[in-house]
Amino acid sequence: MSNAVHPATPSPRALRLGLVMSFLLVLFALGVFTLSLEAVRSPNEDGYRVNVTSSGCEPNRLEVPAGQRTFTVVNQSDRAIEWEIVDGVMVLAERENIAPGLRQPLTATLKAGDYAMTCGLLSNPHGTLHVVAGDSNAEPAALSTTAFIGPLAEYRVYTTLQLRKLRSSADELRDAIAAGDLSAAQQAYREARRIDLHLAMPIGLFSDIDQRLNAHADDFEQRENDPAFVGFHRLAGGLFERQSTADLSTAAEQLVTDVETLATRLKSASIPPQQLADGSARVLETWLDHHRDDTSIEARDLADLIALTEGADKIVSLLSPLLESQSPEILHTLESNLTALQRDLQADTDSPTSRGAVDDADLLQTTRALANSLSDINHALTLEG
Amino acid sequence: MKTSKLPTAWLTAGALGLLSLTTTAHADVAPEALVGPVADYKLYVLDNLEQLVTHTEDFTAAIKTGDVEKAQALYAPTRVYYERIEPIAELFADLDASIDAREDDYEKGVEDPDFTGFHRLEYALFHDNTTDGMETYAQGLMNDVNDLDSRVQGLTFPPETVVGGAAALMEEVAATKVSGEEDRYSRTDLWDFQGNVDGAREIFDLFKPLAAEEDADFVARVQDNFDDVEATLADYRLDTEDPTAGFESYDEVSDADRRALTGPVTVLAEDLSTLRGLLGLN
Repeated sequence: MSNAVHPATPSPRALRLGLVMSFLLVLFALGVFTLSLEAVRSPNEDGYRVNVTSSGCEPNRLEVPAGQRTFTVVNQSDRAIEWEIVDGVMVLAERENIAPGLRQPLTATLKAGDYAMTCGLLSNPHGTLHVVAGDSNAEPAALSTTAFIGPLAEYRVYTTLQLRKLRSSADELRDAIAAGDLSAAQQAYREARRIDLHLAMPIGLFSDIDQRLNAHADDFEQRENDPAFVGFHRLAGGLFERQSTADLSTAAEQLVTDVETLATRLKSASIPPQQLADGSARVLETWLDHHRDDTSIEARDLADLIALTEGADKIVSLLSPLLESQSPEILHTLESNLTALQRDLQADTDSPTSRGAVDDADLLQTTRALANSLSDINHALTLEG
Repeated sequence: MKTSKLPTAWLTAGALGLLSLTTTAHADVAPEALVGPVADYKLYVLDNLEQLVTHTEDFTAAIKTGDVEKAQALYAPTRVYYERIEPIAELFADLDASIDAREDDYEKGVEDPDFTGFHRLEYALFHDNTTDGMETYAQGLMNDVNDLDSRVQGLTFPPETVVGGAAALMEEVAATKVSGEEDRYSRTDLWDFQGNVDGAREIFDLFKPLAAEEDADFVARVQDNFDDVEATLADYRLDTEDPTAGFESYDEVSDADRRALTGPVTVLAEDLSTLRGLLGLN
C-alpha cells in the first residue's frame, strides 16, 4: 500500500458539519463538567442524616453497611457542636464547630463493628453506630502492609521524641505558673502548644485526652466557667487574654497528668496506616472548622496553623516514597500545596506587623487545598477497605 | 575455596533456599507487629549516635591538644558506638569510607591521601606514637560523625535492613574481628568485637518475641550461641565488674579461644540470616 496522502481542502459543507459537531462536543463536555461539579458539591444527599439536638443525637442508634459512608450532621441545637465517630477511645472521623441550624457532611470508611457517636455537648449521652459487614464488592486491592512498616516506625520515633519535649515543656509550664512567672509561663505555653499540635493527629485518636487538652470553652455547658474546661485553651485565656497566671495551677497540673497519660497510651497504641493521611487532613479541617465564618485569624491561631503544618510536613515526608511509585500526580499536588501553605505562613511571620502579609481568605484557601490533597492520599495508596 | 566441595555447597544452599521459601510462605507475623521493634531500634541507634558524637568530641580534642596518651585511651571506647550501629551507618557509603575504612581499602595504603577516619588516626597514635599532623584528620572525623548523626535522624529505617542487620554484624565479626585485622595497630579488636555483638543482640532481642512465636528452637539456639560468645569475651575483660574498663590486647587471645569463637560466631551469622524470612520480610 503506497497511497499518498493528499492534503485536500475540505468542502464548505464538511467544514460546517465539523463546526456543528465540535460545538456539540463542547456542550456535552460542559454538561459532564457541570454534573461532576455537582457531584463534588453535594455528595451527601443519599447519606445518613443525624440530627444533633441540645440533648443528643436523633436517631441515637444508627445502622449502616461497612465501607465508605457519608453522614449529614444537622445541628438542631442552639450552639456550635461537634460530632465524632469513636472506636473505643480512638476517634475515626469527626466534624467540629457546626453552627446552629447548619449541616455538614462527613465521610468515613468503616469496618463492621460497634462505634460510639459523640453528640454535641460532652455531657450528652453517646449514640451508637452499628456497622454491619456488607458485600465486599469494589474493595480495592491494598498495597502490601509491609510497605508501611518503615513509615509507621519512623512516625513512632517522631511521636516518642516529640512527647519527650512535650513532657518537659508541660513541666516548665506548670512550674512557671506555680511561681507566678507570667513571661516564662507564656514561653513554656508556646513551646508546649506547638508540640501538642505537631501531635494533633495521634492525640486526636484519643477522644478523652483530646478533649482535656484541646477542647474549646464552647464545648462546655458553662463555657469559660465550666469546671471541666481545662487544657490549652483554658491556660491561654489566663496567660494571654487576662495576662495573669492566677487560678491556672489546677489546669496546669491536669495538663501534666494528661500528657503523662498520653505518653502511656501512645506507647501501647498502634496507629492505623490510613490515619497518617486521613488524620492529618482531619486536624487541618478541624482548624478550618473554627475559622469558617469569622475570617479574622489571630496571631495565636496562626501559630497553631504553623505547628499543624509542621506536623503535616512530617507525614508528607513519610508517605512521599510510597506515593512516588503509586501516584506521582497526587504526590506532585500534595507537595505543591504544602509548599504553597508554608510559603504563605513564612510570608506572614516575616511581615513586620504580626498579621497582614497574606490575606486571610488566601490562607484559608491554601490550608483547605492541603487538607484536600491529604484526603486524596489513601485513595491513591488503595489503603481503604 | 576448594572446587571439590562446590556441588555439596550448592545442594545445601539450594535446600536452605527452599527451606527459607517455605518459612516465608508460612510467616504469620503481622507486619504491624514489626513497627514497634523497628522504632525502638531507631531510638537505640539515636542514643548510640549521641554517645558517638560526645566521645568523638573528646577523642578529637585530645588529638588537637597533642595528648597522645589520652587519645590512645579514648580510641577504642569511642569506636564502640560506631561498631554497634554499623548496619545503619553503612547505609551511607561515603561516610562509612571516610570514617571507618582501613588502609587495605586504598591503593596506596597508609600513604593514600584519601585514607582518613578512625584507622588513619589509629596508625598515627599507635604505630607512630604521635598526634603530629593529625588535626585535619581529627576535624574531618568530627565533621563526618556530625554529618552521620544528622543524616540518620532524618532516615526512615528500612525494616529489612534493621532485621538483616543482626546477621550483617555477626558476618562482620567473622570476617574482620576474629582474624584481628580491624585494629591492627591498637590491638583493641575485642572492643569492636563486643560492639558488633551488642548491636546484633539488640536487634535480636527486639524481634525475639515475634521470632519465638514462629520458631522457639531457633530463638533458644541463637541465645545459647550469643551466651557462648559473650562468655569467651568476658574472659578477656580487664575488670569483670566494670565493662567500661574494656579488654586485653587481641595479642593475648589464645589460638584455642580464637578457634572457640569462630564456631558460635559463624553459626550465629548463618542463623541470624534467616531472621528476615522468619519475620516475613523477604
